[in-house]
Amino acid sequence: MQEATFLILTALASGSQHGYGIIADVREISGGGVQLRPGTLYTALERLRADGLIAVDREAIVDNRLRRYYRLTPAGSDRLAAEATRLRANATTALMRLSPAGGAAT
Amino acid sequence: MSARATRSAAPTRGTPGEAAQPVRQAVLERRYRRLLACYPHFFRHDSEEEILAVLMACARTRQRWPSLGEVADLVGSAIRMRLGPGRSSPPRAVTRAVRLMRVGAATEIAGLLIALATASSVQSVLVRQHVTFLAAQWHDLLLFIELGVPVPVGLWLWLAWANGRGHRWARSAFAGVFGTYTLIVLSKFVAGAATYAPADLFVVGIQWLIGLAVVLLLFSRSADTFYRHQSMPPTAAPRG
Repeated sequence: MQEATFLILTALASGSQHGYGIIADVREISGGGVQLRPGTLYTALERLRADGLIAVDREAIVDNRLRRYYRLTPAGSDRLAAEATRLRANATTALMRLSPAGGAAT
Repeated sequence: MSARATRSAAPTRGTPGEAAQPVRQAVLERRYRRLLACYPHFFRHDSEEEILAVLMACARTRQRWPSLGEVADLVGSAIRMRLGPGRSSPPRAVTRAVRLMRVGAATEIAGLLIALATASSVQSVLVRQHVTFLAAQWHDLLLFIELGVPVPVGLWLWLAWANGRGHRWARSAFAGVFGTYTLIVLSKFVAGAATYAPADLFVVGIQWLIGLAVVLLLFSRSADTFYRHQSMPPTAAPRG
């Protein structure tokens, strides 16, 4: 799973969000490291919808503009949980090997 | 976040710069729309207004032109969306039809090789049967066959690609091409081609059978559902 996809799913994990909200949330989650552009975001959203990982929650008109809110589907939650577990295991291994005790084992 | 998202609410009174802001926004919006025209029809139909709202929310206060980064992002994403896999995987019937169309493209090459290999015998029969048939005419005919091969090969492959992506027009186009091809095959039989070019007609017959199988597969029930789904906007959401 690409980092942008992971971050988009993470942004939706706490509740439904619209496009601009996802961009802002991804920036916050990544500590400013990932700045999604609208084209990239909507290509990812289109793919995630087609894969059944997210779905449209509701739509609203704000300032005469369409705002569509997306939410995680159960399949999306499972996929995000599996990816987070995998990343955590990798990170734990990396940190363990970087620690003095882990390094001494080599 | 919401303050920025709702910035498009235009001020009605203020400095001249503020008064010009709605005009600037209208100009910028028009330019964004031109870029969004690069996207596939289904995406524009479903998401153009939505992505436009996000683009306008992300725009700087006095921005009049899309930035280079935005142009690259939108055009690149549009190309990826057009060239990438379709919105859902095609059913087995369409996958088989696409494979058969690729085989059809290969038979065009095989047909050319057979035409070249049997050219001399066909020519001698033609000259015997039609005394007015000139060597120059035969030369022109062969040249036409050789140079014309990329066209049907390209047509097979292009329609295979478009059908694999679920374009309904591609299904209709293939049916139209197959109908035309059927008429051409019949006219060849009427002209007695079977008597002087049996090998070539064998390839033509194989191609016709492939075309028939493709048409049957493309118009099967599972394929019909796939094409209908691909041309419709995804998941409708309750308004609220």
